[in-house]
Amino acid sequence: MIGDRILGVVLLLLAVVYGWEAAMFPEPFGGSEAVGPETFPLILSVILGLSSVYLLVRPDEDEEWPHMKMLAELGFVLLVLAIFTLMLQPVGFVPATTLMVSVLCWRMGAKPLPSVATGLGSAVVVYVLFNFLLELHLPAGVLDLKGVLN
Amino acid sequence: METLNYLLQGFAVALTPENLMFAAIGAILGTIIGALPGLGPSNGVAILIPLAFSLGLPASSALILLTSVYAGAMYGGRISSILLNIPGDEPAMMTCLDGYPMALKGKAAEALAISAIASFIGSLLATIGLVILAPILAKFALRFGPAEYFALFTLAFATLGGITGKNPIKTVVAACLGLMIATVGVDISTGNQRYTYNILELYEGVDFIIAIVGLFAISELLFFIEMHAGEGFKKMALNKLKLSMKDIIQVLPTSLRGSVLGFIAGVLPGAGASLGSFLSYTMEKKVVGKSGYFGEGDPRGVAAPEAGNNAAANGALVPMLTLGVPGSGTTAVLLAMLISLNIQPGPMLFTQNAELVWGVIAALFVGNLMLLLLNIPMIGIFVKLLSIPPKYLMPVVTLVASVGIFAISNSPLDLYFMIGFGLLGYLLRKLHIPLVPVILGMLLGPEMEKSLRHALTLSDGDWTILWSSGLSLGIWAVAIAGLMLPYLIGPILRRRMAVQAEKTHSIVD
Repeated sequence: MIGDRILGVVLLLLAVVYGWEAAMFPEPFGGSEAVGPETFPLILSVILGLSSVYLLVRPDEDEEWPHMKMLAELGFVLLVLAIFTLMLQPVGFVPATTLMVSVLCWRMGAKPLPSVATGLGSAVVVYVLFNFLLELHLPAGVLDLKGVLN
Repeated sequence: METLNYLLQGFAVALTPENLMFAAIGAILGTIIGALPGLGPSNGVAILIPLAFSLGLPASSALILLTSVYAGAMYGGRISSILLNIPGDEPAMMTCLDGYPMALKGKAAEALAISAIASFIGSLLATIGLVILAPILAKFALRFGPAEYFALFTLAFATLGGITGKNPIKTVVAACLGLMIATVGVDISTGNQRYTYNILELYEGVDFIIAIVGLFAISELLFFIEMHAGEGFKKMALNKLKLSMKDIIQVLPTSLRGSVLGFIAGVLPGAGASLGSFLSYTMEKKVVGKSGYFGEGDPRGVAAPEAGNNAAANGALVPMLTLGVPGSGTTAVLLAMLISLNIQPGPMLFTQNAELVWGVIAALFVGNLMLLLLNIPMIGIFVKLLSIPPKYLMPVVTLVASVGIFAISNSPLDLYFMIGFGLLGYLLRKLHIPLVPVILGMLLGPEMEKSLRHALTLSDGDWTILWSSGLSLGIWAVAIAGLMLPYLIGPILRRRMAVQAEKTHSIVD
């Protein structure tokens, strides 16, 4: 019940802001037409607004939401993915991937050693596959041997 | 005759060594994707799109690869239904009813073989149906003007929740969200910026491939972690196959009936593969009558839904290719593939890209035969893969998804977007907002707005043009029915499906 109510409020706000912005669009170059850039968004805003009111009035039963500990866990997983993205170019594909896959395996219940093995293994296999077989260059980062050798 | 000619040309495309290889890779990957719980066909195809894209494959090869994955996933779904009693995807649900009891009786290998044969028959007949029906429908669709197309796009959303969908308002919400995301970027016909907030990366809009991978793959990872599903499931052992000709002949009529029903369900908007397999199973039970032992491991109870869902999966390609309107999640993802290859599906596809379309159709025939050959002798290998616990599998799948997205344009920003969509997907699924209409909205949004503009420019701003022709009125009527019917017959159908499932469980327990 409460889930759908919150959803209804958020969607209603979204519909209002979205529609209001559409109404503020500057008139296109060459004068206005029957269907301008704002027409379609305005229709969507009205439909979404009406639907969100319906959700507020007649909400469905709630799905069971995870407790705080699980929410923190899921947040941590998203954080790991973000750290992976952050590391990818400066540090390189292999270290970033090893870290990401190992931590994810570990969080899903694997023991530390197999986790790291899966992480390192998949990182090396994917890197070799992409760089040499498929010729798509993934960032080498700190492991760029070519730079050292030349 | 003309069709046959085109089909032969199609085989010339599909039978080049390179494309044969792509079909084989696709078939194998697809079966694996379908078999592994938690990696449904839409999810699997979505992860592979950016890879096919960044490899720079020619359009026909990329499409052959991905349609083979699609066909393979339909085959693979049955493996986990039979051995784990967990459907790999929704359409495979009915296969659990008799497949798992057969496995309990020590007939897992027979169940797998029979279902492979039924899947083959279903796909084969439905592909023949596609060859006959698609050109006719494409010709008919040439009569559609912009007003009819606008109505047709609305119809696609209205029926997407399916007859078994729960809350139609949530489908509407989902469609609106998708369409709203589609409006972000520079407006194509006036050049106005919409919702870009002067961020350069948003000028071209939000890439739907990133959204699809985020919504499906990343949210699936979150669900696996939440459900502590890392350890995997208890699997039935595989016995030695003892299948006689008589067993195969026994299920032939069943497979034929199931195929026809499944194909019809697949072509109709909103019905899809789940309904196809449900209808085939229920009808088979009626036809066979007292002599059957459905729910206790009757081979016909395995053949009927498998023929039905494979036929429906191929049938669903008819509206997707001829009208550009997908009827299911996976065909929506295939549509995303077409659009990103710069191919606009629709009636013109069959004249402008004849070689491509017929190449893909021919590849369906070839892939189907490969799948049958793969699935009978090599079934043991696929079964072994089922024992990889998700705790190792899901992180690697997440990695493959991320690499694919990163490889499109080497931009970390795309990955942040993917993570964001993953979180959005998790929240939406928790609130029972279906994800497929969101994706369809992003895909169809630009075309839908364009047809609205064309229609109103033609009528000089008169809105009644949208429902002024008989054809468009008809489409609107079906759309409204599609949105309202779930309210009326949905509860009945759902209850029946639940009763069926319960009956078998009580026998199994």
